[in-house]
Amino acid sequence: MSGASGGEKRPPPNWILQHPAQMKDLQIEDSAQVHAAFLVYMDLTEVRRWKEVSCVKSSELQVVLLEAREKEGAPTLTILPLPAHQSVTHKSIRHVLDRGFPVLLCAVAADSTLVYQRMTDGLVTPDPPVGPFQDMGRRQHRKRRQQR
Amino acid sequence: MEALSCGERRLGSEEEYAAPAVGVSLCDSAPLVWRMQDLRAVRAEGLVGALLGSLPRTPRQNGRLGRPLLLLPEEEGLLRERRAAAALPDRCQQDWGGAELRQKHEEEEKRSFEEQSVLALEDRKLALLRAMTGAESGATSADEALRRRLQALDQNFTFPQSAMAVQLSTARAGLSYCPEARAFLQAYGPPGAEPRCDARYQVFRDLRGRGFYLTSAGKFGGDFLVYPGDPLRFHAHFIAVCVSLDESVCLLDVLAVARLGSNVKKTVLLCSPGPDARVCYTSLQWSGMI
Repeated sequence: MSGASGGEKRPPPNWILQHPAQMKDLQIEDSAQVHAAFLVYMDLTEVRRWKEVSCVKSSELQVVLLEAREKEGAPTLTILPLPAHQSVTHKSIRHVLDRGFPVLLCAVAADSTLVYQRMTDGLVTPDPPVGPFQDMGRRQHRKRRQQR
Repeated sequence: MEALSCGERRLGSEEEYAAPAVGVSLCDSAPLVWRMQDLRAVRAEGLVGALLGSLPRTPRQNGRLGRPLLLLPEEEGLLRERRAAAALPDRCQQDWGGAELRQKHEEEEKRSFEEQSVLALEDRKLALLRAMTGAESGATSADEALRRRLQALDQNFTFPQSAMAVQLSTARAGLSYCPEARAFLQAYGPPGAEPRCDARYQVFRDLRGRGFYLTSAGKFGGDFLVYPGDPLRFHAHFIAVCVSLDESVCLLDVLAVARLGSNVKKTVLLCSPGPDARVCYTSLQWSGMI
């Protein structure tokens, strides 16, 4: 690299651009979003080894979406990758939900940290707290009196 | 206190059976409910509100609060929409209520003072008797001295006002210390002035219509806490965040509120009123993928 061999060495080709995922063919202008989508793609395929991961273009939102299954026989999910500093409207989330699959929103931070959130239409009751439950009874009262 | 109800007006109802309207007092645009029957009526409508006052016998704590009940603007709006609330009339000009109360209280105090002075004198005499007969026993001169002492006591005894025991009646109805508006409650600002305000009201009305109970969610950074039944019986299931469909929300805020929700075992609900008067809901849940 310090030019010892005389001629200028060509920088190695950018492997991201040559990756077979070929997201750049989808012609999305928001390159930050495409890069985020690529990172999520790599996470799902190489790290989590999800099946049938593919890219889809959403024309209304002008973003790259991913579709994947967690394993064989699992239902297909739509993944919406977004850079964490961007904003989102409820309308765009509804667009993605309207595709009919459960949606995973993935926020990609500047350091490539990925956070996945599940989004569902309607009111989903949360899981109840896990037992066994112990009746606190007078314990709290006793604690408070001891503190005084 | 019954005479107060003559001042309430039922807002133009067509039904034959008119449930009594809830009297709402305005204190600088905060809607307050003071009377017990009104609080019961409000709860019967499925509206929770928030108690603000301190209880007279346990003032220095915030665990159990008393009247008045503060209504959310959405709750007040719903009561107005159902024509179930009316502003209490202005009582400043007819102050008979206050004057009569004061007079009654003064009369009661005077009567109590007279009773107490009689009892105090008897107590003193008894004490004197006990002291005299205890000290010397049987001597006839003691009887003479006792009789003279008792006579002196009768003539000179005064019961000072400051020694009087005063009883405060805490079970009085009709509490109201704020000036009430004479006119009916006005509309809450022009429609569409602040898109967030209207979104909140639409969501509140829709969820209440589905049978949920809602309170304010200041502690959780959302708009409402949604309970599947009365808050006294259930924990909240959802934290409702009201946005309009086109409102741009920072992704970091979405992550923050979703993470908070998963920490407290509640689902975060993104609520937006749609174009066709329907409200669409999106539940946010932790994915479980580390």
